[in-house]
Amino acid sequence: MVSLDERLLVKKIQEGDQQAWNELVLRYEGRLTNYAQGKIKDHSTCQDLVQESFLGFLSKITNFDASRSIQSYLFGILSNKIADFLRSLGKSKIVENPVDSSGNHKGNPFIDPAMGASTWYRGDEKKKLENDALTKCLVLLINDFIKKKDYLKLKTIELLFVNGLSNKEAATILGINNKVVASHRFFATNFIIENLKKLNLSHEVFPEFYEQDTET
Amino acid sequence: MNITRQILDAFIDDHLNEQETIKVEKALRESPELQAQLTDIIKSRDMGDHSIGAIWRREHLSCPSREELLSYQDEALDLDRLDYIKFHLETVGCRACKANLSDLKNANPLPEDPALRKKHQQFLENSKILLPKKN
Ligand SMILES: [Zn+2]
Repeated sequence: MVSLDERLLVKKIQEGDQQAWNELVLRYEGRLTNYAQGKIKDHSTCQDLVQESFLGFLSKITNFDASRSIQSYLFGILSNKIADFLRSLGKSKIVENPVDSSGNHKGNPFIDPAMGASTWYRGDEKKKLENDALTKCLVLLINDFIKKKDYLKLKTIELLFVNGLSNKEAATILGINNKVVASHRFFATNFIIENLKKLNLSHEVFPEFYEQDTET
Repeated sequence: MNITRQILDAFIDDHLNEQETIKVEKALRESPELQAQLTDIIKSRDMGDHSIGAIWRREHLSCPSREELLSYQDEALDLDRLDYIKFHLETVGCRACKANLSDLKNANPLPEDPALRKKHQQFLENSKILLPKKN
């Protein structure tokens, strides 16, 4: 949940309040710098990338949706800036010179400053609805685990969905049986589908639910 | 390691550990099909990806709050929660939470290096022209 305090900060900046802007920079600068320093040794470069991320945020501030987390947004921009920077050093893992569907070389695979930033800003209402619906269902799911202190399920689902591991890999890490992992996956998928249904959204848009994991 | 769509997603988001990252890099170098798949994913993300993993990572859905991370540092949480946060930091490898934690350990919010501190001040000064005009 985005705090009232954060919403107020965004609102004030949207109204041109410089003190609110200074406050925001001060509040997020440390964590962003630490994030950058996890990947890049040179502190001055890290600071440049963090400052560019802040500028990216500020340049679009009038359209920023205050119900979104500032932190997640800033981390998103920064992580792309870092990827771009590393790529420019030739260290990056993103394939060089990716080509688009018509065979043209794309100079920069990350057109938008934040991954999926379009879900924050652009007028694609359908995408935004889908994104918001799925976010809502996932928050319900995670809160359900936490409320019941069912951390084993949360850990399992996080390894599957966030780290993209297979049932078998997750089972090995957690020291549990593959079948238990499969049942947790089944539970989570069902939970999300049921809650999506309540929101009256088509599940065709989320094909990953129907991918069968063969490694049970 | 079978490189699935989810693994490529995690790879792009920097959410794999070093060993896994190396494996994916190697596979990418060897397989044009996989490279094409990666390019497709990046393209679809530019259009606003909403796969479960992407949303979860992008919105930091399971990340503990800053207050909780503080309590984690002081071990002032119940054991289950402490254990989960440790897992989230170390096994899932959440870089955002790691960054928050190191930031919390640092009492001074401003950069220590005088040169960086000066750059910070200059930035605040220069960036204000981008602020929306007050009505
Ligand atoms: Zn986290």
